[in-house]
Amino acid sequence: MPDAIHRNHQGSWLVRILLTGAVVSTILPILWLLLIAFQRPRAIISPGWTFEFSLANFEEVFGPRQVYGAQVVNSVILVLVSTAITLVIAAFAAYSLSQLHWSRRTVASILGGAGLLQVIPPVTLVPGLFATLQTLGLNGTLSGLILLNTVFNLPFAVILIKFYFDTLPTELRESAAIDGASEFATFRRIMLPLAAPGIASVAIFTAIQVWNEFLFGLVFTTGGREAPITVGIATLIQPQEIKFGPMAAVGAVTAVPIIILAIVANRHIVAGLTRGAVKG
Amino acid sequence: MSPFKVLSLLPLLLVLVMLVAFPIGQMIWMSFGNVRLTAGELIWDSAGLANYERMLGDETFRISLWNSLVFIFFTVVITVVLGIALALAADRLVRGQKLVQNVLLWPAIVAPVVISVAWLLILSPQVGLVNKILRSLGASPQSWLGDPFGAMASVVVIDVWHWTPIVFLLIYTALRSLDPSVLEAARIDGANYVATVRYIVLPLLTPAILGAVAIRVLMGVKVFDEMYLLTFGGPGTATTVISIYLRSVFFESFQYGFGSALSVTVVVLVLVALLVALAVRSLIRGVRRA
Repeated sequence: MPDAIHRNHQGSWLVRILLTGAVVSTILPILWLLLIAFQRPRAIISPGWTFEFSLANFEEVFGPRQVYGAQVVNSVILVLVSTAITLVIAAFAAYSLSQLHWSRRTVASILGGAGLLQVIPPVTLVPGLFATLQTLGLNGTLSGLILLNTVFNLPFAVILIKFYFDTLPTELRESAAIDGASEFATFRRIMLPLAAPGIASVAIFTAIQVWNEFLFGLVFTTGGREAPITVGIATLIQPQEIKFGPMAAVGAVTAVPIIILAIVANRHIVAGLTRGAVKG
Repeated sequence: MSPFKVLSLLPLLLVLVMLVAFPIGQMIWMSFGNVRLTAGELIWDSAGLANYERMLGDETFRISLWNSLVFIFFTVVITVVLGIALALAADRLVRGQKLVQNVLLWPAIVAPVVISVAWLLILSPQVGLVNKILRSLGASPQSWLGDPFGAMASVVVIDVWHWTPIVFLLIYTALRSLDPSVLEAARIDGANYVATVRYIVLPLLTPAILGAVAIRVLMGVKVFDEMYLLTFGGPGTATTVISIYLRSVFFESFQYGFGSALSVTVVVLVLVALLVALAVRSLIRGVRRA
């Protein structure tokens, strides 16, 4: 990468202050959350600055009679299944739209329909979705949530994967066809592997979205054993009483895997976020 | 037309029809009715335009639209300006660009629910970090979330903390992909840094900036989690944005028909805004070309 406007170091103390401020203020709230999570419960409400390390908050929320452990498992299942279904449907559809010569109008109207879902607030669709899930007998179930998470992540996944397939030359597919490969084999053995890096970005991005989803979990479950963990956190915040320690502990369990992912798979996530945002 | 061509697209179409077209149809249908939930079944009686008439006189709906507008205006302006500033700054870093990019990604991908929890632990009057600091300095503790202005200011600050990174990432990626020879030419011509940014870099970044604005506006329209957890729309209706009000109409007063009329209106408003934005964009492009 060239230094763009970069080689000019004049005023660089300002640059350093701005960025140090941004980095510190980004880390601080997350660090404070972790500190409270490991803080002894009575030290949390004391006005002083003492820190007493303790696992009491974790023991409280993940004890045998609590629902939070089951909710973490729900969230993991939700992420794995929704992401898998989203990727399969999106990969086929994106390939079809990109490479199989649909008319321009068809492509535009399907992408338009998918894009519509990206712009309208999900809460407006809640009664309609309620009626749909009722018809399918999936209200209040994990399967219902899997379906909703899949649907709301599909538009983005299709648009982004199509973008990757668009960069592959059409001749590739045609020469495979001349060699006698079936359409499915061409897709599976030749085209899909070439789009793999793009699909990996979409997979990570979708998984994060599903892990973080809150609204549908809130309104389509009762907040108990069948709810995802994001809803579990909300049940610890009641108007009468907020359970700060347990809340921080569950928050830490929800946030830390994602932050580790951010450190490990940074490039993939940034690619997914930025490209998807610009193209979508 | 080969079977594979059709089959590969079919699952997507099926899902879109079943879970997008059908719910939207339901929403429109319900908006013209009295809808009750009895024994798990939705019962519909015609109400004509009654839901829409009631909407026109509904004070809270007007307040929620206004709150959403205020929230969107401040969060979009602040996150976009800060995001551009950070991107320009990071671009000038000699070392540490990777670190900045890595850390600034965290807020954008950690669950909004967790972000809300983290900020509750900072703003809470009982255990909050800010009040601990105030108390240590001898000042009296404050309850920002309990005050109408303070609550709105708090959710704006939290949203800025939360989403400035995404603007930063968008602008920074666009900035890194600019052709350096253009900038080199400007420098040889003797342009200083500020002039280079003002007359060359920012115009080149305009598409990325407009993209970031569009994304941020849409996120602002949808915002729900933070208000639900931190202020529950209050105190009073101070932070009742559209999604918060719709949830309470659906799930606290169970007025599915009325709520659907509000939903239809919100969707229409968003689509009209989108069409106007697209029209303005093509108009500006046309003028530039002429």
